[in-house]
Amino acid sequence: MAAADVRDMLNLPAEGQPRPHKKQKVVEKRPEGITRELFALLGERAPPIAVNENRYKGRPKWLTKARAKSWRMTPFTNGARSDDLVLSHWKREPTPEDSMPTEGDQAKEEQVTTKPAEQEYGFARFNIKARVPDRYTTDEYNRHLKSDEWSREETDYLMDLVEDYDLRWVVIADRYDFQPQPVENTENSTALVPSKRYRTMEQLKARYYFVAASMLALEHPPSEMSEAEFDLHEKMIKFDAERERHRKELAALQLNRTADEVREESILLEELKRITANEQEFITERRELYSRLDAPISVGNATNYHNSQGLSHLLQTLLQADKSKKRRSLLGPEGIVPTPGGQTPINNAPGSARDSSRADTPNAGPSQPQTNKKTAAAASATNKESIQQAIRTLTPAEEARYGVQHHDRLAPGVQFRSDRAQKLTQAKSHVQTQKLASALAELEIPLRLVMPTERVVKDFEKLIHSVNLLLDARKVSEKVESEIRVLESAREERERKAREVRGQDKPEVKSEQQDDDGSEIAPAAANAAAFQANQAGEDQTEANISSTPANGPDSGGTSGAGDGVSHKRSASVLSNASDKSSKRQRK
Amino acid sequence: MNTPNQAPSATEYGGDEVSAIVLDPGFSTTRAGFAGEDTPKSLIPTYYGKYSFEGQEKLIYGDDVFVTPRPGLSIHNPIGRDGIVEDWDMAEKVWEYSFTSKLTGAKPGNPLHNGLNDVPEGELASEMEGVESEEKPLADSPLLMSESSWNPTKAREKTIEVAMEKWGTPAFYLARNGVLAAFAAGKASALVVDIGASNISVTPVHDGMILKRGVQHSPLGGDYISAQIRALFKSNSPQPITITPHYLISAKTAVEAGQPPQVKYKTFPPERAPDASYRTFLEERTLSEFKECVVQVWPGPTKLSATEPNGVPNEEMARSSPGRPFEFPDGYNQVFGVDRYRVVESLFDAKAAIQDPESLFPAPTQAQTVPEIIKAALNGVDVDIRPHLLSNVVVTGASSLLHGFTDRLNQELTQLYPGPRVRISAPGNTSERRFSSWIGGSILASLGTFHQMWISKKEFDEHGPNIVEKRCK
Repeated sequence: MAAADVRDMLNLPAEGQPRPHKKQKVVEKRPEGITRELFALLGERAPPIAVNENRYKGRPKWLTKARAKSWRMTPFTNGARSDDLVLSHWKREPTPEDSMPTEGDQAKEEQVTTKPAEQEYGFARFNIKARVPDRYTTDEYNRHLKSDEWSREETDYLMDLVEDYDLRWVVIADRYDFQPQPVENTENSTALVPSKRYRTMEQLKARYYFVAASMLALEHPPSEMSEAEFDLHEKMIKFDAERERHRKELAALQLNRTADEVREESILLEELKRITANEQEFITERRELYSRLDAPISVGNATNYHNSQGLSHLLQTLLQADKSKKRRSLLGPEGIVPTPGGQTPINNAPGSARDSSRADTPNAGPSQPQTNKKTAAAASATNKESIQQAIRTLTPAEEARYGVQHHDRLAPGVQFRSDRAQKLTQAKSHVQTQKLASALAELEIPLRLVMPTERVVKDFEKLIHSVNLLLDARKVSEKVESEIRVLESAREERERKAREVRGQDKPEVKSEQQDDDGSEIAPAAANAAAFQANQAGEDQTEANISSTPANGPDSGGTSGAGDGVSHKRSASVLSNASDKSSKRQRK
Repeated sequence: MNTPNQAPSATEYGGDEVSAIVLDPGFSTTRAGFAGEDTPKSLIPTYYGKYSFEGQEKLIYGDDVFVTPRPGLSIHNPIGRDGIVEDWDMAEKVWEYSFTSKLTGAKPGNPLHNGLNDVPEGELASEMEGVESEEKPLADSPLLMSESSWNPTKAREKTIEVAMEKWGTPAFYLARNGVLAAFAAGKASALVVDIGASNISVTPVHDGMILKRGVQHSPLGGDYISAQIRALFKSNSPQPITITPHYLISAKTAVEAGQPPQVKYKTFPPERAPDASYRTFLEERTLSEFKECVVQVWPGPTKLSATEPNGVPNEEMARSSPGRPFEFPDGYNQVFGVDRYRVVESLFDAKAAIQDPESLFPAPTQAQTVPEIIKAALNGVDVDIRPHLLSNVVVTGASSLLHGFTDRLNQELTQLYPGPRVRISAPGNTSERRFSSWIGGSILASLGTFHQMWISKKEFDEHGPNIVEKRCK
């Protein structure tokens, strides 16, 4: 008896809380394949390993109930065949529900035998023939299709083949083997050697297309053709056997390329791919560059940046702008930007300001090219500078690598190096320019530099200077020579006169010797001047000019145009020449 | 979902099996089986044995040929070296044996002749014999046969006559084995390179039809390789090797490599000895074992006689690779080094052939080598399909199972044609490689769409044997 019943009997109110359920014993079913002992060791939690049971499951229940369907070897005919060949295959018997269950074996037999007849064989519908044009009649052939190349018999043979092989031209051309029937069988076989003619696929195609197009046109005149027919007709009419043959020759060439040619082609293709890939990159880069160049030109006056106060103010504003852009400042504390590969490093803030306010055409820049001297070789100066700046000091090698340069003075605006080089070749007078050009032409150096890199331009500059030097020297030497000639003729004149008067004047000779002495001293000065010119540039012109008159006579004439590729050599040549000349003069 | 009880829809796989028999006769073996299966059920040697017993001539077919060294047993092959049938009577018998022994064998059952019953001479015999003679072996199976691509018209007509008149097949078709091999590889267009026993052949196939002008074949098949191996054995270095078949050995003891064999031979008195051809036939078995275990094709890319760009001759490289041991039936064993490459090198490089004046095979010419006949085959077909053929090279035939053959072929072809893509399709499964033309026939004859192609008995009766030329193109 349960407690509830007792309460009921005693008319006690039911307990507020329901009677606690009897704790149900959770008995997990022991999976098969695990021994009882092992299972007892396991806790309540099932092991994380799925226990696989590899047991034969047997047939599904729904299958065991159904009766096995019976299959029967059934004869059938194929609608795609012209004869009525009867083959037999296994076919499932119609289910008993389909047929009347009361029917006997006789009826069944009948059904089986009649069925194939009424039912179309499933695969017969795949029997498709290519559409070939209608066959011509003799009359049509004689009127429209006659050809010198093709006999009626051979045309027939071709059309048969085309039909047999469903327009597979590769096979048709392969199997084409027309043996012309000897016209007279009685003739002796030695006299009649049927020349076997090989027809190429193009010849076959040309003939067939001609026939087919003609037949199509006969059926419907082109004006009445449907669009598809007209297209087909056009295509067949326009078949060009010669072109096709040419195409095949090219295809054979393409197929029989050598390994080298194939490799070359693949390399070229690779290159092309690379170029097209780079092109996009290049375009975006250029666009970026243009957008920078097109930045609004600052209209503010640059003079307020000329003092340090203005500069620091500018730096502050720039840094501010930088920060506001939330970008990592690229600027160092002093505003030096070691732009890798950058061609216009900014020495200080005004530089950048100038950059932005530069004139928009490069031609405006080189108005004062001489002042825009680069003294990259002045390494000591840059070193000092970098120490002062107390930022990352770059070694000369690194500087060269990153293209960092230091300028004493910068001309405003952007200039092109090529323009500067170009400017050098322009002398003041037209004649002088021409002489310069001819000297360069003799050295086989183009007037316009092909690749005006920093170093090339620097060397070019030196070259032009020395060429100028030589030209000047030559001019002076010519002048001196002519003077000498005049003087000598005057002397001869005088000597002649003196002989006539039989008088001798020694002071004249003495003065000549003095001249020689002067020329002996001069070469040394010239040498020194030449070396200095190599090293330090333009200031030497005056010195040179002042020294050249002395060593002029020979050096101007002999080595004036010949030297110049290397300046040291030219200098030595100069000195040699001058030595010789002085010796000769001494003699 | 198809349950086992439901018929698969016929168009699903295009199959419709009419219990056709596929017969693929080769020079070395004859394959037969039911269409729709994946391997031939019946595989017998094409060779047959002939001996006389009590004044009667007896013939043995199938694997029984190998077993007993009967007195005077001689071995013959009805098919000529070029793959064309020479002895039609015997070819017919061998082929018939190939399907009656295992495929249609349930029916014949004349208890008098199957050797299981001792039927006393009596009333039964004559009756049964009459029935037997009436019965045609293929009365209710269509027959698909294969043939080589260069089979002449006469032979084709003879084949259909045999099939229709002697075997009584209701429907017949004769397919080229190149086409069938292409089908087995799942391709309608392919360049089939068949390395058989007596021939190697190249057949361009386009849309399921061979291109006759491209068909090339040369005699450098498996038997040629055997001849090369024999030539190698004659000039073998520690001592010349003679192959002694198992049936001539009664006892042997193991010997060290290179040592002369310690063997006791079986001797047959001259009148009980089998014919010399029997010995050759069994030697060939040892040789094919040798080919399977030892022989290797030099992988290329250059010839075995050439020198690598790094200056090391290929022969040196081959010598440095570990050799392969082989033990002959008489216990003699040896490790074969570079020689194992040399015996097959002449398939690719005619100059590398081992000279042997006694060999059946004349020294090969360069035009007979595999790359050259492939080149010739390609030159015989239209230029437009050559690249397609090159990207569908199907390698088949049992001799193509030589170790490294397809790699070398690939190298040779890519060197020959550097431009187009060369792709070789060779099944890795040995039975697919050996029986690929049978498998292709099995696929073809079980297709629903193929059944319109059969030449029926009626058509044969109407048009005569020449119909095979018209229908089996």
